[in-house]
Amino acid sequence: MSIRPRVPFAGVLVSLVIVAAGFLFWRSTTPRQAASSQAALSRGGQLTAGIRSDPKSFNSLVATDESSNIVSSLIQARLVRINRATAELEPWLAEKWEMAPDGRQFTLHLRPGVTWSDGTPLTSADVLFTLRAARDASVQSSLADGLVAGGQSISASAPDERTVVLSFAGPSGLGLRVLDALPILPRHKLEASLANGTLRTTWRTTTAPGDIVGAGPFVLSSYQPGQRVVLARNPRYWRKAADGSALPYLDRVVLEVVPEQNAGMLRLQAGSLDMLQNEVRPEDYVAARKAEQQGSLKVIELGVGTDADAFWFCLKPEVKTKDPKFAFVQRREFRQALSQVVDREEFARTVYFDEAVPIWGPITPGNRAWFTPNLPRYPPDLAKAKALLSGIGLEDRNGDGVVETAAGTEARFTVITQRGISSYERGTTLLKERAALIGVVLDIAPLEGGAMIDRLQTSNYDAIYMRPLLSDLDPAGNMDFWLSSGQSHFWNLAQKAPATEWERQIDMLMTQQASTIDLARRHEIFNSVQKIFAENLPVLYFAAPRLFYAHSTRVVGVVPSVLRPPVLWNADSLGVSAPPRAN
Amino acid sequence: MSRFLARRLSFCAVLIVVAASSALLLTRLAPGDLTTGLGPLASARDVSDARARFGLDRPVVVQWAAWAASAVRLDFGESFRYQQPVGPLVLAAAGNTAILALAALAVATIAGIGLGILTGSRRGAIPALIRALSLAALSLPPLLTSLAMLFVAARTGWFPVGGMSSIDASLPGRWSDLAAHLPLPVLALALPVAATFERLQSAALGEQIHQPFVAAAAARGVPPVSLVLRHAWPVSVKSVAAIYGLAAGSLLSGSFAVESVTGWPGLGRLMYEALQARDIYLVAGCAAVGAALVSLGMLLGDVLLALSDPRVRDVA
Repeated sequence: MSIRPRVPFAGVLVSLVIVAAGFLFWRSTTPRQAASSQAALSRGGQLTAGIRSDPKSFNSLVATDESSNIVSSLIQARLVRINRATAELEPWLAEKWEMAPDGRQFTLHLRPGVTWSDGTPLTSADVLFTLRAARDASVQSSLADGLVAGGQSISASAPDERTVVLSFAGPSGLGLRVLDALPILPRHKLEASLANGTLRTTWRTTTAPGDIVGAGPFVLSSYQPGQRVVLARNPRYWRKAADGSALPYLDRVVLEVVPEQNAGMLRLQAGSLDMLQNEVRPEDYVAARKAEQQGSLKVIELGVGTDADAFWFCLKPEVKTKDPKFAFVQRREFRQALSQVVDREEFARTVYFDEAVPIWGPITPGNRAWFTPNLPRYPPDLAKAKALLSGIGLEDRNGDGVVETAAGTEARFTVITQRGISSYERGTTLLKERAALIGVVLDIAPLEGGAMIDRLQTSNYDAIYMRPLLSDLDPAGNMDFWLSSGQSHFWNLAQKAPATEWERQIDMLMTQQASTIDLARRHEIFNSVQKIFAENLPVLYFAAPRLFYAHSTRVVGVVPSVLRPPVLWNADSLGVSAPPRAN
Repeated sequence: MSRFLARRLSFCAVLIVVAASSALLLTRLAPGDLTTGLGPLASARDVSDARARFGLDRPVVVQWAAWAASAVRLDFGESFRYQQPVGPLVLAAAGNTAILALAALAVATIAGIGLGILTGSRRGAIPALIRALSLAALSLPPLLTSLAMLFVAARTGWFPVGGMSSIDASLPGRWSDLAAHLPLPVLALALPVAATFERLQSAALGEQIHQPFVAAAAARGVPPVSLVLRHAWPVSVKSVAAIYGLAAGSLLSGSFAVESVTGWPGLGRLMYEALQARDIYLVAGCAAVGAALVSLGMLLGDVLLALSDPRVRDVA
């Protein structure tokens, strides 16, 4: 018996279908040339950018995540702004200001005729309200920590509707740069919330878009959780183009939530996104260049990044005194030996595929204002590295390839790093190989990001490899990193008193630097700080990556910056030349 | 049957409580907490404020008891990541996942069982090709399948490159817009499930076709198509029904890989983001709803099994 009838033509039919589908796929994947690679700026249109996650809140005092910051920069405005391309302070809602001779008082003059997006005039009362709200205990705003000078909060007064006077307790090297992070908020919309203690939970992402008012180039149009934030042109925006025409050029900015980076890159190549949130990853660089050759993307070099991967040991005596390895880890000769064993040029080639520059300290050439090339360097020299180790009693006494002390304590460490970041994987692998050449064993333990930060905050680790982001290009904005009492003084957090003499020196110099107005003197002092840092090497830096950014060729008016967001920081002057591909 | 259903529903309730409580306790006990999301530069004041606000400064048992007391009143706490109540967040995501899962389940059922019948009852080039494709679909991880589908969508423009809706979809065209966004994630989700159904259906049918009752029917002159569809298939389908609930449950509880890659705002993606952010109450809320949906899927499978095999009903 057979119940399996033969179907003689079916195989041929399936083959034909497969061939036809393949042909259609080939036809439709033939590279599409962009309408124009030399696009001209035109008014109107929509720009679609990818963001990695949903904004936490539309309340700029509360949410400090990257997506919320992008939305805030589009719908709110500051008194003054740090130009991301030049790193210079420029007038924004305040059209000009004067500084008192002692550097303790600034008088800011607001632009005339500026209104909120709902038509209400923006006045000095809004500025005072914002400062009060940022410092209010019920709001718990992290921005309050930045509004401090000379150890005390900045006080403010308003002689009239267009004038604000800020008084600092002492001279401040940062000056008005502290205001770059503070968006001015509408008193008429939020005062009641501040009064009844609910400002922290006001302007959540569930708030009706019409209730959110700002003085930025766009207004919130809609928010679909997990999908997108849509922002429409603010018709009352105060800023004009050089030719006197109204800004922004764009009618609409759409921020599509694309959590997966590979998916984001595919959507960028397909034209359903005009740009991504951040720079091109090293692994996507070739694909981006290929798309550029096909005319669908433009790849721009942003410059050398201002942050770099770093490696450091836990140097907290309270935690490490019982660890016999601490006796030599705290010796700078040990850290110098490790620095001496790494060839920075090779590091740049291997970890960043040659798109990086060697560095010797935390300030990279990307930070043009504060970088100094005149630092102690440690060129690769195995013999010298071994001699440094031998000088502090570390030698391979039993011939097993690992150096140890006379008491038998081996130089063996667990290095924790964040899982899933390819540059960390390549960097730690290279570091492990190079350290092994002088008998230092580094066992690499990739951890999930949260677990790693927990280990860092509790000082529960031997060594860490990661990229700490400095919050400001100006060193006075990163006091938490430089001062021994700082929460970001990673290798020995929040010391009650400086643990070492060189940290005491840095504390003194940085305090002096932060309270000096004379820029040349500040540079002189900070160069000394960098030199002390490079001699003692609490943190080892190897190379700073060059950053590349890819955007659709239809986007015009791009002024790239190594700071984030690399292009959207200048959103009011961006335009598009052709309609986007339908999503 | 009613006792059977009551027993299964009781089991569902227990599963939900255990899953949500375990998720909360494990998230609390794992290294790091939600304040690590503030970054290494966060001030001590910000960290202590956040810990106090989310009850992390209290003993774990006290925190769990307080959360459980609120949860019975359907208040699952507030999300640290989204700064809003967990309940509406999780329900919205579960609704999106349900749309995706039901569509994927329908595609997987029709394609998997249909192709299983074909490969189980016939020999030749086409069944061999289908079997090979099934094995390939089974061995591909969902992340890779999703990326491959996205790549095809990106290069061809045949359907939207991710997301759940278009920006300007108006109310009348909302459902057709949703339907246009479904193929990418649905195919990525349905392929491995359809392949599983095909393999099981094919093997079960191949076995039943050689049973004496089928030979007897053939001897009575029943046509080959009826032999397969009316005699052999109803007996063989219970092997698919046995795992149908599990498959439905896993689809309904969300797939973070497919949802993340295709930009579908569903439960799997929300759970993943919550875990990454150590968003303790959101993790617990997602686990509770996920467990409820897995239970629902398993209940559906049990009912189908009972319908396809009277012996199961009788035992119940």
